[in-house]
Amino acid sequence: MDGLIQDIKLIGEEIPWLKEIRAKGRNAFIKQGIPTPKTEAWKYTKPNRFFETPFSYTPSNLISISSNIKLPFDCYQINFTNGVFNPFTSSLPQGIEVMPIIEAIMFTPKVREKISNIAKVDENPFVALNTGYLNEGVYIHISSNVDIKKPLTIVYETLCTDRNDMYNLRNLIHVEKNSSVQIVEAFYYEGKVKSSYFMNVVNEIYLEENSHLRHYKLQDEAFKSAHIAFNAVKVEDNASYKSFCLQKGADMARNESYVELSEKGAHATVDSAYIMNGWATIDTTTNINHLKPYTTSSQLVKGVVGGQAKGVFQGKIHISPNAVKTEGYQLHKAMLLTDDAEVDVKPELEIFADDVKCSHGSACGELDKEQLFYMQSRGISEDEAKQMLIEAYLNDVIAKVDDEKIIEWIKLSLNSNKSE
Amino acid sequence: MTAPLLEIEDLYAGVDGKEIIKGFNLTINAGEIHAIMGPNGAGKSTLSNVLCGKPGYYVTSGNVRFKGRDLLKLSPEERACEGLFLSMQYPVEIPGVPITSFLKHAVNAIRSYKGEPELDTMEFIKMVKAEGKKLGLDNEMIKRAVNVGFSGGEKKRLETLQMSVLKPSLAILDEADSGLDIDALRVVAEGVNALHNENNALLVITHYQRLLNHIVPDFVHVYADGKIVKTGDKTLALELEEKGYAGFVKEK
Ligand SMILES: Nc1ncnc2c1ncn2[C@@H]1O[C@H](COP(=O)(O)OP(=O)(O)OP(=O)(O)O)[C@@H](O)[C@H]1O
Ligand SMILES: [Mg+2]
Repeated sequence: MDGLIQDIKLIGEEIPWLKEIRAKGRNAFIKQGIPTPKTEAWKYTKPNRFFETPFSYTPSNLISISSNIKLPFDCYQINFTNGVFNPFTSSLPQGIEVMPIIEAIMFTPKVREKISNIAKVDENPFVALNTGYLNEGVYIHISSNVDIKKPLTIVYETLCTDRNDMYNLRNLIHVEKNSSVQIVEAFYYEGKVKSSYFMNVVNEIYLEENSHLRHYKLQDEAFKSAHIAFNAVKVEDNASYKSFCLQKGADMARNESYVELSEKGAHATVDSAYIMNGWATIDTTTNINHLKPYTTSSQLVKGVVGGQAKGVFQGKIHISPNAVKTEGYQLHKAMLLTDDAEVDVKPELEIFADDVKCSHGSACGELDKEQLFYMQSRGISEDEAKQMLIEAYLNDVIAKVDDEKIIEWIKLSLNSNKSE
Repeated sequence: MTAPLLEIEDLYAGVDGKEIIKGFNLTINAGEIHAIMGPNGAGKSTLSNVLCGKPGYYVTSGNVRFKGRDLLKLSPEERACEGLFLSMQYPVEIPGVPITSFLKHAVNAIRSYKGEPELDTMEFIKMVKAEGKKLGLDNEMIKRAVNVGFSGGEKKRLETLQMSVLKPSLAILDEADSGLDIDALRVVAEGVNALHNENNALLVITHYQRLLNHIVPDFVHVYADGKIVKTGDKTLALELEEKGYAGFVKEK
């Protein structure tokens, strides 16, 4: 834990609110510490081994290179390079506003009440750490009654350095009523991997009544890195949050979705896929809270684990006492490619209301040898056949993404392999 | 004289620790059609699987040469790229893999093995559709995943479609006729015959003489107890149809 909290002067220390919230974050982090194998919420992923390397926060003035990553679909694109926001150039349509979070905090004080509100510092040490460094990230605001057709993409690119850097990014997304938007996040790295880095991202997302957010994410971090993301989402009346996350990179990664279905008719789809090799641990954690009647949620998580890697799925559905007529579904499936591959699954249903429909399931299988031989007997190489079968296996969860172009991009990303 | 397409010499082979093929000999030249008939459990499918290199099948002794090369040293995909094809007795379902993309991968794998450029996708799909139509597989079926939800007869048509697209030098048809209705039998046989020429060969495994009315063999072999016990011309099939295998299989 040494080194993670540094005495570095961040922008905006003169604003008491900011100073206070950072101090709260730091204290909460020091109190909780890095999770140990005994910490229930992290017992499978065991992030502690990763933090034996000291990470440090690198002030942004050390970084000046801008990104040239261009995603293969038409979108509004924002870039972060090594955790630093690149000045935004492309023009945005009416109704959508994007600015550095620090600017929003300084000049639009009303956003402050939305920060650290659903992503709470004393329930997760990495959220606490992130809040302690609250500085970089964006505020995305969608006004009411707009339908933004083109996706808004956030590319987080890490150019490998020889330091062990830590990046704390904090985004606030607020969609006002009757609006809809798609947000895509893509985590990439560039260059030869010399050292490790730690990407720690917190998204706080507010969806007002009858608004709709589709949130797609690709995690393709460098193989020596750690990636921890916490997505906290509050969904109001008849609003919907539909997400899909593909995780394929990093040495240790968690993508966590904490969703509050806080008003009637709120819906969440939280789907994911993970594909991994080597010694990686990739964790998908969900925590879906049905707080009001007629709320619905569904989760489909599929993973492919090779090498000596480990997949983790922890999925919780909570239904509050008054949340009748709710529906919550969860299904996890994994394919193990080797004898040493492992998956750990912890489903949890907490149902305090009657008259609800709820289900969960988990299954584990392996590559079908008959299918593999059939393909080889037609001339397809073993590696290519495996790749096709893996893609076929993940096909249904990827196909749930609403946008053809994004589906194509995800499939492409599935197969792209940086030679490491 | 050109080398035979396939030469099997005194082959002993089996699966899962059980020896099934015991001293099998067969030579197939380009241009020929061979039929193998034999009782259930004789080892006909085992022979097909050994020739195609299916994991789990092993060879204890003997030689197999395909176009002069040691076939047994090649991986299943190399055998296919060299021109060997097996129309399987029990084709495998592959959910999530559409027929067109499956076939495109197969064709391009074979082409790249031969150092030929990849095919244009649009042209290719057009060709697959046209071939499918001839075999009674309409465009809707061709869009589906490989064998998924196909009836027994439809699976056999799809095997034949794959053969038409991959154009092998030696096609082994393991009960290509099982499950086919009378019209389909004719259609599949026509598809197979259309591919046959003096540069390639067929090895037709069947239980019924009927198929051999359509695909007329140069040689008919009776396969029992792990080896060929008699070889004749097409009239041997008629004789078998009439008398059964009684005279060829040793009393147990
Ligand atoms: N995996 C296996 N393990 C043990 N025995 C096997 C295995 N596969 C096949 N056999 C046995 O080997 C023998 C030959 O089987 P094979 O499928 O080759 O027969 P076949 O001649 O094709 O029969 P059919 O006409 O019924 O298709 C049978 O007795 C079968 O039970
Ligand atoms: Mg058989």
